[in-house]
Amino acid sequence: MRISAEDLDALALGSVFLATGGGGDPYIPKLITANALKEFGPAEIVSPQDLSDDAFVCAIGSVGAPTVSLELLPSIDEASGALAAFEEHMGRDVDALAAFEIGGGNSLIPLLAAATRNLPMIDGDGMARALPEAQMMTYAMAGIPPTPSVSYDYNGKVQHFDCPDPIEYESIIRKCAVESGGMITTVEHPMSGAECKGAIIPGTLSFALELGRLLEQNRGPSEAIADSLAKAFEGTIYGACRMIFFGKVSAKSSRVVGGYDVGEATIEPQGGGHPMKITIKNEYLLAQVADKVVASVPDLIVILDAETSSPINAERLRYGQRIAVFAIGAPAVLKTPEALAVLGPQYFGFELEYEPFC
Amino acid sequence: MLRIGIDVGGTHTDGALLDGDRLLSSTKAATSANVVTGITDAFDIVLADGAVTAETVECVMIGTTQFTNAVVERRELAPVAAIRIGLPSGKGLPPFTDWPDDIAQTIGGMSFMVNGGYLYDGDLLAPLDEDAIDKAIAQIARSSVRNIAIASAFSPLNAGPEEFVAAKVRSAIPDANISCSHTIGGLGLLERENAAILNASLLPFAARVVASFEAALAKRGLRCPLYISQNDGTLMDANFVRQFPALTFASGPTNSLRGAWKLTGLEDAIVVDIGGTTSDIGVLQSGFPRESYNIVDIGGVRTNFRMPDILAIGAGGGSLVSADGTQIGPQSVGHRLLQEGLIFGGNQLTLSDIAVAAGALNLGDPERVQDLPDEVVINARKKMHAMLNQAIDSMRPGGRKLPVILVGGGAGLVSDRLEAATEVIIPENSGTANAIGASIAQIGGEAEQMLSYQDIPRDDAVASVAAQAERAAVVAGGDPASLKVVDVSETPVPYMENGAMRLRVKVVAALATNSAAQRGAGV
Repeated sequence: MRISAEDLDALALGSVFLATGGGGDPYIPKLITANALKEFGPAEIVSPQDLSDDAFVCAIGSVGAPTVSLELLPSIDEASGALAAFEEHMGRDVDALAAFEIGGGNSLIPLLAAATRNLPMIDGDGMARALPEAQMMTYAMAGIPPTPSVSYDYNGKVQHFDCPDPIEYESIIRKCAVESGGMITTVEHPMSGAECKGAIIPGTLSFALELGRLLEQNRGPSEAIADSLAKAFEGTIYGACRMIFFGKVSAKSSRVVGGYDVGEATIEPQGGGHPMKITIKNEYLLAQVADKVVASVPDLIVILDAETSSPINAERLRYGQRIAVFAIGAPAVLKTPEALAVLGPQYFGFELEYEPFC
Repeated sequence: MLRIGIDVGGTHTDGALLDGDRLLSSTKAATSANVVTGITDAFDIVLADGAVTAETVECVMIGTTQFTNAVVERRELAPVAAIRIGLPSGKGLPPFTDWPDDIAQTIGGMSFMVNGGYLYDGDLLAPLDEDAIDKAIAQIARSSVRNIAIASAFSPLNAGPEEFVAAKVRSAIPDANISCSHTIGGLGLLERENAAILNASLLPFAARVVASFEAALAKRGLRCPLYISQNDGTLMDANFVRQFPALTFASGPTNSLRGAWKLTGLEDAIVVDIGGTTSDIGVLQSGFPRESYNIVDIGGVRTNFRMPDILAIGAGGGSLVSADGTQIGPQSVGHRLLQEGLIFGGNQLTLSDIAVAAGALNLGDPERVQDLPDEVVINARKKMHAMLNQAIDSMRPGGRKLPVILVGGGAGLVSDRLEAATEVIIPENSGTANAIGASIAQIGGEAEQMLSYQDIPRDDAVASVAAQAERAAVVAGGDPASLKVVDVSETPVPYMENGAMRLRVKVVAALATNSAAQRGAGV
């Protein structure tokens, strides 16, 4: 499979859906990726199974505040420069690139870097959605250390990191992003093809593209698209996709606590009844009705505009919008006790046990 | 204050003469090809009874869609040289990125990117590259392009680099028309730069439009100051419009909302403006339009102007109705209603025909719809109400039911009950709400910054941004004694450890009549 500039609208739409409210506006990453694909030609996509076991693979993506990149515009150089700096540091050329997360703009960065070097991007990612921290990637959970890694900022400044503990690493690169204008590109998790096969969540890139096409072709009321969405998720790593609520945003508050955008949205159902409360920590993490949990992280909670079925990210969610809330099952790899320890409800400070929404 | 409001729309020019809160007279006429004549005709009608003479009018306010239409129709646009200060970031995204080809060819051609600008935390992004700036200016000076847009990374936070380059341009090219992005838009470099480019491109046309407005005033002996209404429902003086024509882009819907407020005195309400093709639903909050947080597309170009939050549904006076009455629109006969509607002898069943058949509207020839089956009329009215109820419901703020104000030519299409409303109000003179909205005398100012409450306590931060907004309002002609903060909005920046926040403050002020008059006389 190859991905060209013409596929990007669909891919971005699918990846915003899977971003579960986080990941920022994909407009600018989409523009620079389109430029790269036009300049260097379409990017090749390989299935993880097709990697040779001794291939040299790494993950690439942006770390920082998507809002900052509205002013500090990214460019092709950051992805290609970061990759070159990583290869120089490792003394070895990379054979294929993997995504941190399929949700949001980070689904496009490996594609962009891959295109500039005529390298393949691997069809898969480390989260199957969007999540805010480095240790939440399946690469880290599989025991692959995040470092040696490099960061590359807007000015071409390269920094090297050596820190095998993923949680400590997360705090180090977060600090680096804050000090580098708010946004950096990092290349990390060097791994072999064999290691990658055991760690990556396969097929999420082609699925995001397929999902985006479905959303493009079915613009219109969410109630009308619900069945097609359920069918699209059936038999995939996610399994179920179901509309869990329909109504209108009647309140939304948010503030920054400890580096997270923390908030809550209330959705009033049509025709009365208990409202749904959505708890936000960058992403939509918890959906409750009358204090009963309907869905929680790592299951995906997605909000669509009721009229157009466009996904609405947390930054753009506001009073008065008529929306449909969907829940989608998390892949099994995010539901193991080890995974739940670093990305389950309790890790985010909710005092509840994770229960799959269906 | 005795004043005249004029709304120059695409199809109609409305006029209203007000004394304080009292509407003395109003008019609605087809917009003529000659704008000056259209406006002088409106003056003549509202002043016709002689009770008020031209000399005693203290102020004229004009709302116009001419600048929006110029962009949408790609006419009256001058070529622009764009200077972006922000390298080494953004290399792959030069000015005019992602513009439709036709408008890029009309306006574009010259663009420059130089090192400089700031970061979100106030640190330098890069030292300003003065050599590159001088070279760019020299190249522009050698060309025939005289409209220049300047944009710099994080200029809403620190406008220094834009101002520095503007000063250099001004001294090298004295006849340059300059538009700096920080004066026109908020955070979002590409969108703000696009707005500055569109604005720069409209500057020569703005000079002609303002001159034609002034000529219309002079022809009728109106020696008072002239104001133009802008997107957020506030006014700018004629000199300000010469610099910021793009700020009028959404003044049409805004004026109808503000007019609805003026006609009813309701500070919080939902306004439904029923036109020929759509019904536009907006929300009044504290007497001003609620604004949209979405990116606004003007003629295919992404901008980040603050625009009123309007939901348009395809149900207006010219909307087609299915034979059984159960479907309405979105197709509409539009201005051809006067030929194609049943009541005008045509053969298309429109919403206006339904309203006339139901006896709710007095228009055309009622006999032509007397044979419409009752069931069709009932079905269509039910459908219209269901559409409006659903749309109003989705616009209600904070789950509250509010009164609904109906304005525009098609107010009669709605019977007096809507479940989504606490009450339905059709004010007297609802047809000329736009002109009345234009006549409302308040000056606005706003400012936006990205900052951290860990560095600056919240109260100090709000005060500092409010002071910036107040300065903007006074520059635009506001009375410093009457400044009032009407909106503080805070948006956290996610994924940052230090609590970065986008803080925006909006203020309004009464018109500073004397100083404004002095400025007007000095033109």
